[in-house]
Amino acid sequence: MGVTVLQQFPMSENRTGPQTIEFLTKRVVALGAVQTGQFLVDCETYQSVPQLGSPKTVHVLHNSEQPASVFAVLESGTKVVPLIADGLFDLLMLKMTSIYTSKKQTKVEAKGPRFEIGDFCVKLGSVTMSQNFKGVLVEVEYRPCVIPGSSWELMREFLQGFLGSAVPNQAPQYLQNRMNEIYQPMDTIQQYLEHFGQYRKSTSVI
Amino acid sequence: MASQISTAMDSLNAAVKSNIIPNQEYLLQGSVMDSAVEVLLQRLRGLCDNVDSRPETFRDHEMCFSIRRGPPPEQPLSLRVRRALDHQDMPWQLRYIGQPELGDKSRPTIVRSSIDIATSSTVVEFLTELGCRIDFEYIVQGYMFRKGRMKVTVAKIFKMVQVKIPDNVEPISQSYLVELSVLAPRGQDAIAEDMRIFAEQLRPLVQLEKIDYKRLSH
Repeated sequence: MGVTVLQQFPMSENRTGPQTIEFLTKRVVALGAVQTGQFLVDCETYQSVPQLGSPKTVHVLHNSEQPASVFAVLESGTKVVPLIADGLFDLLMLKMTSIYTSKKQTKVEAKGPRFEIGDFCVKLGSVTMSQNFKGVLVEVEYRPCVIPGSSWELMREFLQGFLGSAVPNQAPQYLQNRMNEIYQPMDTIQQYLEHFGQYRKSTSVI
Repeated sequence: MASQISTAMDSLNAAVKSNIIPNQEYLLQGSVMDSAVEVLLQRLRGLCDNVDSRPETFRDHEMCFSIRRGPPPEQPLSLRVRRALDHQDMPWQLRYIGQPELGDKSRPTIVRSSIDIATSSTVVEFLTELGCRIDFEYIVQGYMFRKGRMKVTVAKIFKMVQVKIPDNVEPISQSYLVELSVLAPRGQDAIAEDMRIFAEQLRPLVQLEKIDYKRLSH
């Protein structure tokens, strides 16, 4: 487990989603990356019923990198509370369907090939919202280091090396706010949640 | 590497379908006076699996929450959070417990549905913001024994003099609560018979019974 940066790869008009994934696959393989299976991050969002008072939102996410865990993020308007639980948490959410209802049409997932290249782990995710393709997210993890501030420059160089100018020189805002903290799996989840939120708001492919 | 990856929900649904999730608790309860607990502990040491070492002790803080699922007669959903005060680095435990089913005389134990979830320590804040209300909290301290799949706890319940501070406590009675329980997948009723036989072996030191909660609350 190291520091992870999640980067949106902008879609161009002359490539479809699968073609973009294939294009990026060729690039990382040319660098020497070896494919090590598939990965999947999914997110389902639940909304409180009006009777419960002020509206609250619970996002429940899974990451194939941590297959025994469920990640939940609760937004109550005043606070954001993260929770990490084991797999049975999903059963508990099913017990609460009369208070928290799932917005099925906003179910989002990022899925695609996973690669290893030296100390890096690269994932090329095509993002779909209820079966509709929305865009491509590239996840890069630098595994030997857990402090974002110590690894960002190295990661930027690696990211720009195969994604080009799509990668800004500045670390993503989420990481900038915690450059000297120890990076944890929940931080990856929070980054996915931010990006998923943008895809949900957008009506077209981005 | 063409194999498709399945979602966590698919794996969970498969586990539910093949009935491997321990979601039923079989339970018998009883109590002994403080003065009689030593004899019972000796007897349990003789009967249970972990006899060569000293009995395992525990000290937990339990908080009981509830959330209304709708206007009455809808029963509120009740959730419990437990944390080990003597092992503070262990995960916290979030537990859903369903309505206990007493069944008829032929059924040897109470059966209630149960979901046990290990969580991070943010669970109390999570439940509070979710809309849950804390109903009560207490400290439970005592001994734990194992006999095959069965778990036996002999523990004393303390009330907390100050909210959320587990150091300042007072015992609520001069007795110990004794519980015999098994968590198993649905339909494994044979275990209830094993529990009945085991409970027989503890008589007359302690009388483990199906406790009717409805009768207690009226």
